[in-house]
Amino acid sequence: MNGDEKSEITEQRSFADLERDVISTGLCSQCGGCVSFCSANKLGALEISSDGVPRYSDEEKCLKCGLCYSICTQVDELDQELQDKLNWIPPMGRYERVASARTTNHEIASSCTDGGVVTSLLTYMLDYNLIDGAVVSRFAGPFNRVPAIATDREDILKSAGSDFSASTHVGVVGDKYSTFCPGAFALKDLTSSMRTGRIAMVGTPCQVHTIRKMQCLNIVPSDMVKYTIGLFCMENFAFPKLAKQEIEAKIGARMDDIKKLNVKEDLIVTLNNGESFHIPFDVVHEFARPACLKCTEFANDYADISAGGLGSPDGYTTVLIRTEAGQRIYQGATKLRYIEEQTYDSYREKADNQMKMVGKIIDFATEKRMRER
Amino acid sequence: MSDSVMVVGGGIAGIQASLDLAEMGIKVHLIERKPGIGGHMAQLDKTFPTNDCAICILAPKMADCFGHPNINVMTYSEVKSLDGEAGDFNVVVTKKARYVKEDECTGCGECVEKCPTRIPDEFNMGLSNRKAIYLYYLQSVPRIMTIDRNNCLKLTRNRCGICQQVCDKDAIDYEQQDQDIQLNVGAVIVATGFDLVDALPLQRYGYSKIQNVVTSLEYERLSCASGPTGGHLERPSDHKVAKRLAFIQCVGSRDTRRSRYCSSVCCMHSTKEAILASEHEQGTQSFIFYTDLRAAGKGFQGYIKRARDEYGVTYIRGRIGEINENWNGDPVVWYEDTENDEVKRMTVDLAILAPSLTPVRGSTELAKLLKIQLDEHGFFKTDPYLCAETTRRGVFACGYCRDPMDIPESVTSASGAAAGAASIVLGQLVH
Repeated sequence: MNGDEKSEITEQRSFADLERDVISTGLCSQCGGCVSFCSANKLGALEISSDGVPRYSDEEKCLKCGLCYSICTQVDELDQELQDKLNWIPPMGRYERVASARTTNHEIASSCTDGGVVTSLLTYMLDYNLIDGAVVSRFAGPFNRVPAIATDREDILKSAGSDFSASTHVGVVGDKYSTFCPGAFALKDLTSSMRTGRIAMVGTPCQVHTIRKMQCLNIVPSDMVKYTIGLFCMENFAFPKLAKQEIEAKIGARMDDIKKLNVKEDLIVTLNNGESFHIPFDVVHEFARPACLKCTEFANDYADISAGGLGSPDGYTTVLIRTEAGQRIYQGATKLRYIEEQTYDSYREKADNQMKMVGKIIDFATEKRMRER
Repeated sequence: MSDSVMVVGGGIAGIQASLDLAEMGIKVHLIERKPGIGGHMAQLDKTFPTNDCAICILAPKMADCFGHPNINVMTYSEVKSLDGEAGDFNVVVTKKARYVKEDECTGCGECVEKCPTRIPDEFNMGLSNRKAIYLYYLQSVPRIMTIDRNNCLKLTRNRCGICQQVCDKDAIDYEQQDQDIQLNVGAVIVATGFDLVDALPLQRYGYSKIQNVVTSLEYERLSCASGPTGGHLERPSDHKVAKRLAFIQCVGSRDTRRSRYCSSVCCMHSTKEAILASEHEQGTQSFIFYTDLRAAGKGFQGYIKRARDEYGVTYIRGRIGEINENWNGDPVVWYEDTENDEVKRMTVDLAILAPSLTPVRGSTELAKLLKIQLDEHGFFKTDPYLCAETTRRGVFACGYCRDPMDIPESVTSASGAAAGAASIVLGQLVH
């Protein structure tokens, strides 16, 4: 019955097909999905190479199950099923509510990119034992962010409070969390180490997408991911070392001086001396990763909650609450004063502001969808 | 003419009936539709009124049953048709494809380890996950893996195929088909047991909306040492150990909208669960909200007295109006204390609903193909005095599918049904 509906019997594939169709064509988004699955299932055939791209670590161990192919964000298998399951609609997916909110915690407020909502949601969930850990990315030295599992409040705050002064190589877009790293990859070690394994995952659209595809198939390690918090994402950049001077010329600042990068309607560069300026996207477009240029998802359409700076005033995060799970944690965090919503003088003003926020997200989502065609 | 008996249902009643018959020298075919025998008793932690471990009593019986030369255990099988008459029934049993060769599988578990799919485990009432290829439960008899055809990625999408590659014994066969098997038996015993009432009466008390409202069978799995939490009473929402428990009786039972009858076991199993909670965790407070306290079995009233006096279990006479949830996920129980005529509320860590137990789903279809009648509640209709006899000669019923009863009574009724079936198959040898 159930099985018959889902059947889309196609030829059996393997990682070799993924190498041919996605990796060799430069389209790999480096979400880490394939490796996290292969490792979590203790197959151990894949690994992430030093340049962030997955590869065979031991081809002999590959059982040619083809699941790495099915869950790849750049392969459209399962997309229709996923969209049906989540009632997806263009251009930005379903959402139940939109709000501008910020953290009530001073420590988080001083280190976050926008309103600190994502960090606060994670601390709330950990404090109230709704999750056992969260997948975040953490500063690991110059030019490097690594995925990590945060299991307590301090871990979370460390991730939020990363110092970006030296992190000029890897571009930062959106929130600080989204400094690109293969977030899904961090899940691989968890299957055995945590008895209950309830995880919240913070990620870019491609990272959330691969997790959702795994959840379509009910495969490890996605069963542990109870909450997905998605970040708005226009594109991530890969700045080749050689092009450093070229980049510096384009953005008009020395990369070593950059303290923080943020995205709202354009790229906002903040320097160590406190000065900040805006760069239009088309200027830096050429540094975007090829996978990002093929991606059509801006507002993290498949997450439980999507968040980003776009549309909110400074110091606030725009939050799209999409699913029942998303509602539950957002309401809990609001009620317990981990976050507070922006207040307005009238209902009319609130409605107007929400409309404007949604309008901006729609503009960006539409633009990102259009650029592929 | 046949000298064998078919027993439908491999729970404690079916197992007992099979063993009794086999010991009399009668050949038995035991048909179970789940991948392993044991039934609901295997899911229980302890049994009342002695607090004996349920599986410790059951497992030796399952092993005896499976190993008995006179018993042919057919798991993952269902009765498809029956005709003929007492002494000479022709039965067709469908043996569902396991996609695992029963003779080859050693139950080593390598396939389970490597199967990537994780789906809710029905044996653990969805409180944990199992794989798409799985052993029904830890002590499952027979110890053979089964592939769940609705969730296996190989069978549904032609992906994966990992289990076949890792199986040393080459026991995985994706091409296996359901198989019809013909049997000739002299008598039939139905022992199909119960199911929990459907979700509607439970939802009135917030079940499925409020995470910390669970059913008593879910609670049994939580308190069981081989259960999903290893026997720690961790409530679902935040895995905090629940120390304040509300047991809500008669959820759907004695209710004109659902089951009009008394389910008969809930007063006792809730008392047992409250006692066990105190034994697991010092200082646990349990409140049992009852309609009438029914403790009519052997040693039952003394058991309730012990719960009150030794374990401090509080019994409150009153039905629950509704259950809400506070900001912390705690269930808030609104109730009328009928002894003091007051409407009150109580905040607890976990609310445990005792749902009415109904005849197993599929009873109507089974009754139709066995050509026997059901009573007004859907239980198999039996003679008021010769309780094992259904409305058709040669077909007997025992256990909860006959009417609400506890484990000791199910075992007794199984022996009664076995005697009835034996009188038919042995009787024809005499004449």
